[in-house]
Amino acid sequence: MDASTILLEVFLSTISYWYVIIPTIFLGLIVGGVPGFSAANTIIILMPLTLAMDLEMGLVFMVTLYCAARMGAGIPAILVNIPGTAGAAATPLDGYPMSKQGKGQQALAISFVSSSLGGLLTTIVALLTMPILARVGFYMHSVEMIVVMLFGISLIASIAAQDMLKGLIAGFLGLMIGSIGTDVVYATPRGTFGFLELYDGVPLIPALVGLFAVSEAFIIIEKKVIVNKSEDGTTPTANWHDTFEGVRISLKRWWHIMWTSLIGLVIGVIPGAGASIASFVAYQQSRSFSKTPEKYGTGHPEGLIAPEAANNGVTSGTLVPLLVLGIPGGATAAIMLVVMQFHGVSFGPSLFESQPEIGYGMFMAMAVAYLLMVLTILPLSRYMSHVTTIPTIYLAPMIISFTLVGGFVPREYMFDMYLALGFGVLGYIARRTGYHVAAILIGVILGPLLETYFLRALKKSDGDITVLFSSTLGNILWVALAASLILPIVMDMRRKKQGVPAE
Amino acid sequence: MTRNIKLNRRTFLSTSVAATGMALAAPHVARAAGYPEGNINVFIPTREGGGADRNFRAFSSIWKTKLGTDFEPGFYPGASGRVGYEIYMGKAEPDAYNLIFGNMGPEVLNWAVQAPSFDVNDYLYFGRVDTDPGALFVGAESKLQTLDDIISEGKKRKLNVGTSRMAHPASIGLLALGEVTGAQFNLIPLSGGKNTVAGAVTGEVDFSVLTSGSLIAAGDSVKTLLVFGENRVGERLDNAPSMNDAFGTDLPEMLSSRAFGIHKKAVDDHPDRFEILQRTFKEAFEDPGLLDAYVASKGTPEYLNYGGIEECAAFKEAMLELGAKYKPLLTGA
Repeated sequence: MDASTILLEVFLSTISYWYVIIPTIFLGLIVGGVPGFSAANTIIILMPLTLAMDLEMGLVFMVTLYCAARMGAGIPAILVNIPGTAGAAATPLDGYPMSKQGKGQQALAISFVSSSLGGLLTTIVALLTMPILARVGFYMHSVEMIVVMLFGISLIASIAAQDMLKGLIAGFLGLMIGSIGTDVVYATPRGTFGFLELYDGVPLIPALVGLFAVSEAFIIIEKKVIVNKSEDGTTPTANWHDTFEGVRISLKRWWHIMWTSLIGLVIGVIPGAGASIASFVAYQQSRSFSKTPEKYGTGHPEGLIAPEAANNGVTSGTLVPLLVLGIPGGATAAIMLVVMQFHGVSFGPSLFESQPEIGYGMFMAMAVAYLLMVLTILPLSRYMSHVTTIPTIYLAPMIISFTLVGGFVPREYMFDMYLALGFGVLGYIARRTGYHVAAILIGVILGPLLETYFLRALKKSDGDITVLFSSTLGNILWVALAASLILPIVMDMRRKKQGVPAE
Repeated sequence: MTRNIKLNRRTFLSTSVAATGMALAAPHVARAAGYPEGNINVFIPTREGGGADRNFRAFSSIWKTKLGTDFEPGFYPGASGRVGYEIYMGKAEPDAYNLIFGNMGPEVLNWAVQAPSFDVNDYLYFGRVDTDPGALFVGAESKLQTLDDIISEGKKRKLNVGTSRMAHPASIGLLALGEVTGAQFNLIPLSGGKNTVAGAVTGEVDFSVLTSGSLIAAGDSVKTLLVFGENRVGERLDNAPSMNDAFGTDLPEMLSSRAFGIHKKAVDDHPDRFEILQRTFKEAFEDPGLLDAYVASKGTPEYLNYGGIEECAAFKEAMLELGAKYKPLLTGA
């Protein structure tokens, strides 16, 4: 049987599970949107149900949940500045300012379209180029990953551009917080203050929800509603036009969706890398090569498209090493591996020969899920955006309650709730004194990853620092990093010299 | 008709003693009979989706039918398993409703390298599930395809070797190999079994060492070259020889060994409950369904190896001794 026949059969078989896919989309949106929940822990909770399903249905269920949760994490990030997962940490940078401008519905539409198109595109690309993509991990080792991390961390410098000293202080504070925990080589505790709960590092979800959401709740309580009133003193109301406008803006920037989602795909196929890295790197790249970098952080659609397309690109990317090498690319893929092994599926190079319907079926389920998602979710953006018009006297306590519960859920430590509150106070002080919380957060999220790769590279070279420039691909990436940092400055200088306004 | 009972002193005393005994014993018996009244929480000091998760699910699927209650796993990874143990010892009630499912190999080895905040004798392992020897393996596309390749290359340059954590029996096996052959190895901790396999497969390191059960699960993407113990599965570990056979050494097996543990205080305070746990654990082992559960979860049934308190205590002691011996090499001191 040739590949096209198999693909057609798999497509028809997958679409016949519409009655599983559609409810799972809504479940995924909820678990993705509530901080602390994720596709991985939901699959674990529902594992008895998943194991009871037949293999094909179980696959469709898990893959749909994975995609929908990824998309769902962007909803609270945009509307109330609460990224549901670390992968959505870059989404509020421009998504939330749009909401505050009364464009929450438009921002949601942009997020849904770029997530769906990004996810769909990368699924197709992954399906067509799987053997090649699976090789990416063979070239991206610790040295190369250090440079990839620096792409994301260099965002701190971009943020610092507005106020260099404060931006750098915030970034370094984040990196210092990120270094709390046991070291990756000898497991020696550092900066844990004797708290056992910090041995595994500062947990991301409490840090995320504290810095973004809790501090935001403290801020918005000073206003009546999140959205800024328009010049005539009225609060902007939702209408269908905003949804269509969001779709139009996204489709007009189809090329932007494509290349940022491909960044997500490539980072996703590297075992151990994930959506948080991809979304920051995509945002940084998008900003670096934009003609209007100064608009980023103020509610610029491209600043929303980049992280959303990229983190959905990661979703299909993580399946590639799982299926081709038998190595899960992320936490959710690892859980899928457990479930599928219960069903007797053997991963690795032979999977596409022995059970092609499983290998192709996972990607097909992803493609169908993204297709159905855009159709089912897009109309809801109008109603979801009403969240921004809820009086803050109700909204702020709700945000704090939800986020504290969200901080508790992943590890079930009371400590994490206190930590979220602590980060909330830190975030509030930072905002009130002009420090950018995103710079702190980038340090907290990417700092430990950078340290892991850095120590690994140094350990491999017996402490020789020149190892950082020892690989050809690594050196190419160093040049690309330097170019992406220097070129925007040069272009800006040229524009100013020629007297061309930035736009 | 009524019957007069003459209650003399002897009858009174004996009846009183019996009654007192029953009264004292009754709550105990009732508690034991009622145990377990709820689910048993199991603390697992590694991440979801790993070997311990797979192993736990397979075993508990049978054990729960014997014990008559379900097991609720909680995953507490971090600091080479230390977080899970510290939380179990520091926060879980010692009431026999909280157990830990750990790997007696690397996790006990860890105590020798870095002492925990609790006394290592305050918990004990009572139910060994399996013994899984460590192994040396390369990625399917590695240039080093034989043990000779590795040794000759290791004499020319220091080879980078992936391991899931520094304090691991397989790491000690590798250090022993270096001592025997003169090859130079540099251990690179890659944080967990999946990353260790990935490191060897993708060429991040020259080769890796890990528990062999994880290698069997990894399939064709890896090739096993040496087992730090007996190769009980033959072809599934590419017929790799044992360290002792290949080099004429007399080393003990470098085993990972997953086992259920419990607070010592729970054993002391609730001997009846502990007895039920031990008995049902053994019954689970005798159930033929256990083999099927292992096969279904892609586990390695050959590694199933029942052990009670004594076997576990001996294993724990041996690991502490091994850790003390290799501490300087494992800590970089």
